[in-house]
Amino acid sequence: METEKLVAHARARFDHAAARRTLKEKYEARMLFAHGGGMWRAGTELQCVLLACAQDTDVVLLDLYETPVRVNVPELFALSHERWQEQMNAWRVEYENLNKNR
Amino acid sequence: MTTGALIFAFNNEQTDYVTMAAWSARNIRRHLNIPTAVVTDAQPEDPRLRGFDQVISAAPASGGTRWFEDYQATVTWHNAGRTDAYTLSPWDQTLVLDADYVVASDQLKAVLNSDQDFLAHASAYDITGVDNFTGLNEYGEYHMPMSWATVMMFRRSEHAELIFDCMRMIRANWRHYKDLYQIASSTYRNDHALSIALTIVNGQTLEYPSIPWNLASVTPEHTVTRTSKDCYRIDYVDQDKRPRWTSIRNQDFHAMGKSHLEKLIETR
Repeated sequence: METEKLVAHARARFDHAAARRTLKEKYEARMLFAHGGGMWRAGTELQCVLLACAQDTDVVLLDLYETPVRVNVPELFALSHERWQEQMNAWRVEYENLNKNR
Repeated sequence: MTTGALIFAFNNEQTDYVTMAAWSARNIRRHLNIPTAVVTDAQPEDPRLRGFDQVISAAPASGGTRWFEDYQATVTWHNAGRTDAYTLSPWDQTLVLDADYVVASDQLKAVLNSDQDFLAHASAYDITGVDNFTGLNEYGEYHMPMSWATVMMFRRSEHAELIFDCMRMIRANWRHYKDLYQIASSTYRNDHALSIALTIVNGQTLEYPSIPWNLASVTPEHTVTRTSKDCYRIDYVDQDKRPRWTSIRNQDFHAMGKSHLEKLIETR
């Protein structure tokens, strides 16, 4: 085994992992948005909760600050879905660029 | 409801905070579309102040001296006036930002749109991943959770006013609080005062809302350069003393090394 090759590979993996972590922090922050007096995190969990409430127009949900907030389900679903996919797409683009560069 | 950003800028022997704040004001307007005010002791006719919507004249309040790694020097730290942000702000809702906080996205809009009376970061991390911030995200012998005063959002309310009143009380009795929480450094820090104030005002519960993401930080040992609009390159040395770099785009961050940020602004 060539030690130098191994070290170079390990370093590249380390840098890649660090860049991935930074991207994750960036896009996790971007998933957060305020709506209707509450703070929400766009993503699968919120989408599932809203889908479970799809038969209702208004429901009360706990926001990120554990405050019960009355929300309009279709409105919050649309906003959350839009942000989630918009940011996931941007994340994917940056991630692919990262893979190309490395 | 009126909203704006407030930046404190008191130059010391080493750092031109006024130029830094003017640059930041342009970024704030571009990304957040809100007016800016600077609290400074610079002369009102100073051309660097033209970019602000409001200039609030105040005398610098020294929090002591501090060693800055990037300058390799001990400099006077005019950090103590931040506790007056509540009184000085001309707005109903205020975003208080450190002059060395780089706004490169509209991320802070989420904070401005939130319903809370007071928010600050509860956790920071090193963008390069080299430095472990665990020790910086807590303070004192009892490992109390730190709140970072780098970015603070407040709305005019009894709750926010009490937090700032409490910070002033802590600053005035710093020796007592330093001993109480067994904080090793004797230099007053706004982060400590804010953390203690939030603990007191929230009934010692350690349960209070914070900005729901981590504060991206670049430590003074690392160099920041601008590669293009809202894109930055961070050069650092890894644990094996080898030079490395990483880049960030459209991401806000706290440039803890003021000298690098100054150079970056000069060469923009």
